[in-house]
Amino acid sequence: MSTTAWMITLQFAGVNALFALAIYASLWTGVLSLAPVFFGAVSAFTFGYVAGTLGLSPFLGLLLGAVLGAGLGALTAGLLIRLDSHYLAMATIAMVLIGRVLILNLPAEYTGGATGTLVPGDLGTWAWLIGTLVVAAYVMARLAGSRFGLAADAVREDPAVAETLAISPRRIQFIGMIISGALGGVAGILQSSFLQYIGPDTFYTHLGFVTLAAVVLGGAFHWLGPIVGAIVFTILPELLREPMGEYDRVVTGVLLVLIIIYMPRGLVDVRRLRLVRSRWWRPKGGGPEPGGPDPRDPQPVVRAEVVS
Amino acid sequence: MQLLMQQLLNGIALGSIYALFAVGFSLILAKMGILNVAHGTFATWGALSSYWLVFEHGLSFWLALVLGVVFAGALGVAADLIAFEPLRKRNAGTFAPIIASIGIWIVLLTLAEAFSGPTATSYPTESVPTEPIRVAGLLLLPAQVISVIALVVIVTAVHLLLTRSRFGAAVRAVSVDPRSATIVGVNARSTLIAVAFLAAAIAGLAGILAALSDNNVSFGIGEALLLKGFAAVVVGGYGDIRGAALLGVAIGVLEVMSAQYISSGFRDAITFGVLLVVLVLRPQGIFGERQLVRA
Repeated sequence: MSTTAWMITLQFAGVNALFALAIYASLWTGVLSLAPVFFGAVSAFTFGYVAGTLGLSPFLGLLLGAVLGAGLGALTAGLLIRLDSHYLAMATIAMVLIGRVLILNLPAEYTGGATGTLVPGDLGTWAWLIGTLVVAAYVMARLAGSRFGLAADAVREDPAVAETLAISPRRIQFIGMIISGALGGVAGILQSSFLQYIGPDTFYTHLGFVTLAAVVLGGAFHWLGPIVGAIVFTILPELLREPMGEYDRVVTGVLLVLIIIYMPRGLVDVRRLRLVRSRWWRPKGGGPEPGGPDPRDPQPVVRAEVVS
Repeated sequence: MQLLMQQLLNGIALGSIYALFAVGFSLILAKMGILNVAHGTFATWGALSSYWLVFEHGLSFWLALVLGVVFAGALGVAADLIAFEPLRKRNAGTFAPIIASIGIWIVLLTLAEAFSGPTATSYPTESVPTEPIRVAGLLLLPAQVISVIALVVIVTAVHLLLTRSRFGAAVRAVSVDPRSATIVGVNARSTLIAVAFLAAAIAGLAGILAALSDNNVSFGIGEALLLKGFAAVVVGGYGDIRGAALLGVAIGVLEVMSAQYISSGFRDAITFGVLLVVLVLRPQGIFGERQLVRA
């Protein structure tokens, strides 16, 4: 690939990383949702319309995306959060599908219909992309150690147990959806600004599945996972395009299946790193007696299964 | 009135295909607990393989239909063996099978795209029945009649199979808990494979009928079916295939009617809007019972 092609690919990797972080934010609380794609679409088209008619400074544009996304996230959560996991996942997929129909059929002055609409590209620079990504990653990293982060971990592992710890799963999932919405909105605006043209297929199932795959590949248990996953998942098909031609996506699919089976915690797996370190990196003093059981060795975990 | 009746018939015929697909989809969702996004591609491959047999090898349409259905079923079994069984063994949780099925979906869709090429084709006209049937001033295409008959036969057969046979009892036992089913002497493994085959084969049949009705064989067949079939399963309430079948037909009628009387552009939005409203108001579906889950 040429340098320009690399640059463009990396920019899309950055935007996909934001989308992946948005999906991660709700998955963190145990909610599988593709809604960020829909939030991104709504923000992007609103941005396109507002910036096109009134003009909007880049910072206000991003702010608009975040606020709009967060509001939609809150609305979605309020309506749908009580659904079971399968239904909730499918409901968010239905939102993505409805989004496309709305874009196609709303009056053309708002969305441009099938031909799409033009978006000012002043946000489509490296500075804005990296800046946003750093802020997003910083927020997620700080959240990981916060009360919310711990509660979210608990809710994902087992909502019933979380409830006995005085955590309200619904409340945590509600907050997760709002964060997810804000990130999705911002990602949508950056995406549209990079493309400078958005149409009904820009924010559709393909984007949702690719970013979800990125979260899974990278690891859904640490904020770094989605970012790493998005970068790998965006660059890999580009690299494979030359030798594989149209079959590049087959590799993506096969990889997804293999990873979920053999590396279900993804590439960035903090738990495995700790296990590996405890096995190889034993401190000299105060270590366990040779031959004795090492308390840091992984203990067999007995898991209570929920019969459903 | 004439127009209304005709459109009602068209809606029922279209809905029968959705319903057929929904029956297979609901089998996998309710009995195996897998939200299989790749289910649509089974339908696509059913249609593509039967088209290939008719067009390249000159088989009769009916033989190709049977072989296409079997091929789709085999794909379903392969997906189960390659992806879902290892996950089941590892106790991978609820989301892992969804993600694995997205992987299968990507693979099968890409291969279908490469296999069929960008241009849509259709079954050679001389190989398939096309002579319209006129009943009381209404026009019925053979494909429509076949779809409705297929739906009635399949739903009755599958429902009886699930509720009245030993195999059905085994399926229900395995769907509750494979391990305890094994204790009482059910071969959980072969039961799951049989369900995977059945579900994917029905999807393949739906795909072939969709291709026949639209007079169009392309890699996009399954994608459209997947969304409608899913809506039918959710609104109908999973667990009972009759609910999914009824709602599949209803979605077909709703679609044709809203295209005729409201707006053809918003057709899909109306369908999915109904889906969302039902999800919000009645998450267990119209015919579903609330399932009690004990921790």
